[in-house]
Amino acid sequence: MANTITLRSSDDETFEVEEEVAFLSETIRSIIEDTENDAAVPLPNVSAKILSKVIEFSKFQVKAKKENESEAKIKEFNNEFVKVDQATLFEIILAANYLNMKGLLDLTCMTVANMMKGKTPEEIRKTFNIKNDFTAEEEEEVRKENQWAFD
Amino acid sequence: SSTRGHMSSEIHPLGVRPSGNALTSLREDVERRVRTKEQGLGALAALGDTLLLRVLESCAPRTLAALAQTSKAMRAFATHADVWKAAVLETFGGRFRYDASWFGTFATAAERERRRDGDDVHASKRAKAEPAMARPRTSVSAEIYSDALHQRYMCASMELEAEWLEVSTVPEETSGELSVRDFVAKYEAPNVPVVIRGAAKDWRATQTWTRESLVEKFGDVDFVVGGYDMKLDDFFTLDACEDDVPLYLFDPNFGEKVPELVSDYDVPEYFAKDDLFSLMGADRPHYRWLIVGAARSGSSFHKDPNATSAWNAVITGRKKWVMFPPHVNPPGVHPSEDGAHVAAPLSLVEWFSNFYQYAYDGDVKPLECICEPGDILFVPSGWWHMALNLEECVAITQNFVSKANLRKVIAVLDTKCEALLSGLDKSRRGSLGELFNEALKSSPDDEVQSILTEYQSKKAAKAKPSALGDAFAAGASFSFSFV
Repeated sequence: MANTITLRSSDDETFEVEEEVAFLSETIRSIIEDTENDAAVPLPNVSAKILSKVIEFSKFQVKAKKENESEAKIKEFNNEFVKVDQATLFEIILAANYLNMKGLLDLTCMTVANMMKGKTPEEIRKTFNIKNDFTAEEEEEVRKENQWAFD
Repeated sequence: SSTRGHMSSEIHPLGVRPSGNALTSLREDVERRVRTKEQGLGALAALGDTLLLRVLESCAPRTLAALAQTSKAMRAFATHADVWKAAVLETFGGRFRYDASWFGTFATAAERERRRDGDDVHASKRAKAEPAMARPRTSVSAEIYSDALHQRYMCASMELEAEWLEVSTVPEETSGELSVRDFVAKYEAPNVPVVIRGAAKDWRATQTWTRESLVEKFGDVDFVVGGYDMKLDDFFTLDACEDDVPLYLFDPNFGEKVPELVSDYDVPEYFAKDDLFSLMGADRPHYRWLIVGAARSGSSFHKDPNATSAWNAVITGRKKWVMFPPHVNPPGVHPSEDGAHVAAPLSLVEWFSNFYQYAYDGDVKPLECICEPGDILFVPSGWWHMALNLEECVAITQNFVSKANLRKVIAVLDTKCEALLSGLDKSRRGSLGELFNEALKSSPDDEVQSILTEYQSKKAAKAKPSALGDAFAAGASFSFSFV
């Protein structure tokens, strides 16, 4: 019977997870390897909502590796996985960083980069609710400064 | 603090300030700056500065150029030097000339590439004839607080404190007054460093290697800079670059590319007497480097690979050294258990600011010195060492195996631990130990033979009686004083 680990979210919900799934997080791995007892691992920076997404991701990665899942299938899962609202996506990034999960962090950071790709400055502003605080002259100066990238 | 002469707002090119500034500024200024950042980053503010920079590192240059036009705060992030330095190296390798900023450097290199007709000879001639393109300077500032953005500019502009340069405790000898026999007895055998003043002063290199003459003769030659091939002439455009971790010319193949440079110096007798890797002929790992770096460049704390010893000669410039014995970790430096990976600040100035003060807390003190042109430093096997160039510096260094450290070298090569070994193609490292041991057998020196035989018989005696014959187990039974 595989080892299971209990994780406790910031809002006090507990999750039972197989060790190999939990160990996709280097943070959790260090905590477990450094403590003797079987107590639940507290994750004060991660809410239950986000933690369940992280666990969903980790479970799939472990399963995909075991079953030798194709690159295409993994990519399909990843693409669906990141189809969440912006705020949730950012929270997953923060969690992946805190939990030290390189694969998840790379995926989610690239997702945000893709949200910016190919957009004009005004489109980017709308996407992320950025306020334009340039004067008209400043905006023109900055446009010229970056013209080389669009020639 | 060591930012004499710089106000915080002058350090960052767009006026970004460290967060500590908020403690001493007027409340309305603080509130305005905080608002500028919040509104200028929008939803992305939730990520925090470090993660926002991480996202930007995944963005293509064109995306960054669009982001830079969205708001003042976002422009500060989208033009951050480290993001564009990485983009330059990843996109162009060493094929660039520095132009005012890393952002400007990328823009210039991209434009040059677009104009190129595909005829390499004409393109490079044209590129050389053009002065570095003046990057449009804008007056648009970004008055926000961000340690993540400010830090590297502060390290890049930080002055060196006088007290970092005062201590001189590495034993000194004068060239001409130190016999080979005394060198072995006093320093090599007991594995202790020494700086031999003037040992290189009569080299043709020390007389003739000025920047002007090197550029004139070898300006078009590719040297290894930060791992990339870069023309020497292009490398010197980095004079104008203020980096916290300056790109460093560190070339292990200069001897093969430009044999003329090798004939400009002579390996001192202290080190030439036995260089046992030479028995391997063409199979020997990298052993000699040409080193050129600007002020503030250098090497952070490390031990030399393969348990070799080294000598380092300053040709021009001045080099500050801090050294710790093999069994003492320098403050702020964290090697992994097998010694193969080391976590430490990359910026040398950062190490001095944050950790130098603790260097004298322990029972074992470090040894320090400054090498002037013509001086040669002996770095014994396994010693931690850090080198900081105080001004532009050209140096030659060679690693070597002599009878004094032969036993340790055989042992570390025997571990076959890839990360501890270095200097050959990765695919060959596994057999570096075997190749070396074979080569040793051809040495006419009885002492060399007996060291090797003694090691191998000890190893056979302690080997586990298992079908796998675990090389690690046998190796681990010896205590390596250098790990």
